[in-house]
Amino acid sequence: MSEQVLAIQELKKTYRMGLVDVPALRGVSFNVKHGEFISIMGHSGCGKSTLMNLIGCLDRPTSGSVSLDGTNTISLDDNELANIRNKKIGFVFQMFNLLPRLNALENTELPLVYAGVHATQRKQKATEMLTKVGLGDRIHHLPRQMSGGEMQRVAIARALITDPALLLADEPTGNLDSKSEREIIAIFQKINRAGTTIVMVTHEQDIAKHTQRTVYLKDGQLLEDKPQENIIIEEQA
Amino acid sequence: MNIFESFSMAYKALTGNIMRSILTMLGVIIGVFAVITLVGLGEGAKAYVRLQITQWGTGTNYLELHPWEEGSIPLSSVSEAKLTYEDAMAIKDLDNVQYVDPRVIRAATLRYGRKQHKVPFIMGVSADYPKIYIHNPEQGRFFNEADVSQRRKVALLGKKAANELFGGLSPIGERMKINGDKFTIIGVLEEKGSMMRFDFDDLAVIPVTTAMDVFDTEDILEIGVATINERMTPVAQAEIEQLLTRRHGKKDFRVDSQEETMDMLNSIMGALTGIIGGIAAISLLVGGIGIMNIMLVSVTERIREIGIRKAIGAKRKDIFVQFLVESITISIVGGFIGLVLGVSLSLAIMKFLNLPPTVSYWSVAMALGVSIMVGVGSGVYPAMRAARLDPVDALRYE
Ligand SMILES: Nc1ncnc2c1ncn2[C@@H]1O[C@H](COP(=O)(O)OP(=O)(O)OP(=O)(O)O)[C@@H](O)[C@H]1O
Ligand SMILES: [Mg+2]
Repeated sequence: MSEQVLAIQELKKTYRMGLVDVPALRGVSFNVKHGEFISIMGHSGCGKSTLMNLIGCLDRPTSGSVSLDGTNTISLDDNELANIRNKKIGFVFQMFNLLPRLNALENTELPLVYAGVHATQRKQKATEMLTKVGLGDRIHHLPRQMSGGEMQRVAIARALITDPALLLADEPTGNLDSKSEREIIAIFQKINRAGTTIVMVTHEQDIAKHTQRTVYLKDGQLLEDKPQENIIIEEQA
Repeated sequence: MNIFESFSMAYKALTGNIMRSILTMLGVIIGVFAVITLVGLGEGAKAYVRLQITQWGTGTNYLELHPWEEGSIPLSSVSEAKLTYEDAMAIKDLDNVQYVDPRVIRAATLRYGRKQHKVPFIMGVSADYPKIYIHNPEQGRFFNEADVSQRRKVALLGKKAANELFGGLSPIGERMKINGDKFTIIGVLEEKGSMMRFDFDDLAVIPVTTAMDVFDTEDILEIGVATINERMTPVAQAEIEQLLTRRHGKKDFRVDSQEETMDMLNSIMGALTGIIGGIAAISLLVGGIGIMNIMLVSVTERIREIGIRKAIGAKRKDIFVQFLVESITISIVGGFIGLVLGVSLSLAIMKFLNLPPTVSYWSVAMALGVSIMVGVGSGVYPAMRAARLDPVDALRYE
C-alpha cells in the first residue's frame, strides 16, 4: 500500500449555469497520507463539497487529477467509478442520506448488496458495524425511529462496511446538537486510530481542532494547510 | 446483485404503497382477465357445440343427402328430384364411406290387441341406424342386413312407444300392426331423448325396404352417411356428389354437412375474438401506459434514493434493473390476478354448461408472457431515466 491514500493535483471544477461559468475549484493540490484524519474548512460556497464530490468519484473535474490509493480516477469510466465508490470510499453526509424504508441493518448492508456479497455474510457484517458504532440494540429501527445522532452513526456504519481506503465526511455534524456532535467525532477518532483515513469538511474550528491537520479553502483555492495537535475526545461508555 | 435480490427489493418498494400498486395493476388485470375469459369461453363454446353435434351420433363425419332441385325451396316436397334405395347402396360401396342409412319416414298408428298408439314417426332405416345415431336396443336386437334385404316385417319400439302399448311388460316377440300390416317386435331401443323436437323415444323403427313396401313408395326421404373419419369427410362428400350426379344425369340433390355448423361457430367465435381481443389489447395498452406513468412518478419521487444508491456504489445497470424489475413485478402480479379471475370465471361457465373443465396451458403462458412484455415495455424508459441520473444532482435534489 502506498503511503499516500490521496493525491490531488491542480484540481479544477467549473460549473456551467446556462451561459455563465461558475468556477468552484481553481486549482487545488494536496496529499493525504495513510492513517491521517484531516479537516477541510472554509466559508460557505468556497468549494468544499465540490472537492469532496470529486475525491469521492461522484463527479468529474474540469481538469487536474485525483489519485486514490494509487489509482488515477480521471480516466475511469462510470462503472469503474461506481466500483471505486463502492469499495474504496465511504461517504458520510450532513443529511445522513439513509433510505427511509430500510431499517438500520438494511441501510448498513446496502454497499455490500452492490458488491455482490451473500445475504448472511452481509447481515453479519452489518450487525458487527452497527455494534461498533454503538447501535447493536437498534439494528431493526427505521430511520424515522432514530435520533439524528443515531442516524449519522448508521451512516458511518454503512460507510465503513466495505473497509474503504478513505472515509469522506461532508459536514457530518452540521445537523446535530453538541452532544451528538461529540459522539460522532469520538467515533471518527476511534476508527481513525484503528487505521481508517478520514477527510472531513466542517464549518467549526471547534470540530476541526480534533483532527490532525486542517486544509483551508478560499474561493476555490487552497489558503492554508496546517498540521495541529489534535484533541482526543474520550468516548463515553 | 442477483435477480432474486432485485425482486425482493421491488416487492418492498411496491408493498410500501399497496393501493397505488393495485391501481397501477388494474389495466393489466382487466386485459389479461379479458384474454383468459375469451379463450376459455371460446374453447368452451366449441366443445359445447361439438358435444351437441356428436352426442346424437351424427358427428362431424356425418353427411346428409336430400333430393333437391337447384333453385327450389329446401325440403320442399313438390320437387321432381328423387333419391332411391339403389343410390344408397352405391354410396355404401365408396371407400371413404363407413355407414349409410337411407330413410323413409311416416307418421302412423301402432296397434296391439285393443290398444293403439299414434307415433309421430315410423322410421324406415338401414341396419346402420344404431351406428349413425348411437341408438342401440336395450332389449332384443336390431335388425340386420338380411332382415333389410329380405324386406322382413320386424320392428323395434322406442321406450315411450313401448310403454304406451305394453306398459311394463316385455314386447319382444309380440306382434303389432302398423297401418294394418303385421310386424314382429324384435327389440326396444334405449332411451335417448329428443333433438330439435324429434322424439327418439316415441317411434317405431323398421327396415327401410319394408317401409317402402308398407307405405308403397320408391322415394327415399333422406340418406344419412357416416364417413370413415372427419378428415376424409370433404373427400367423401365430393365423391358422393360425383357418383350421384353421374347416376342421375344431373345434380338433383343436396349434401348437408356439419362443417357448415362448425364454420358458423368459428366465424361467430372469430368475431367475438376480434371484439374482446380488441378490448384486451386496449386495456393492456392503457395498463402499460399507466405503469409507465407511475414508474416515471416513482423515479421522480426517488431521485434522492437513486443518488444515495449511486453514492454507495450502485452502477447504472443496477438502478436500471431495479426500476425495470419493479415495473415487471407490477405487471406480472397484475397479470396473475387477471389470470386467476379469468380462469375462475371460465371454469364457472364450463361448470354451468356441464362441460369438462379445461384450462389451456397456452393461454396461461400467453397471459404471463404478455404481462412480462407490458412490464418491460412500460418500464424501460423510466428505468433508463433513473439509471442516467447524475449522482451529485440526484443527491442535491430536494
Ligand atoms: N451543481 C452546481 N451547479 C452550479 N453551481 C454549483 C453547483 N454546485 C455548486 N455550485 C457552486 O459552486 C460553488 C461551490 O459550492 P460548494 O457546494 O462546493 O460549496 P461549499 O463550500 O460546500 O459550501 P457550503 O459550506 O455552503 O456547503 C458555489 O458557488 C456553488 O454555488
Ligand atoms: Mg457544502
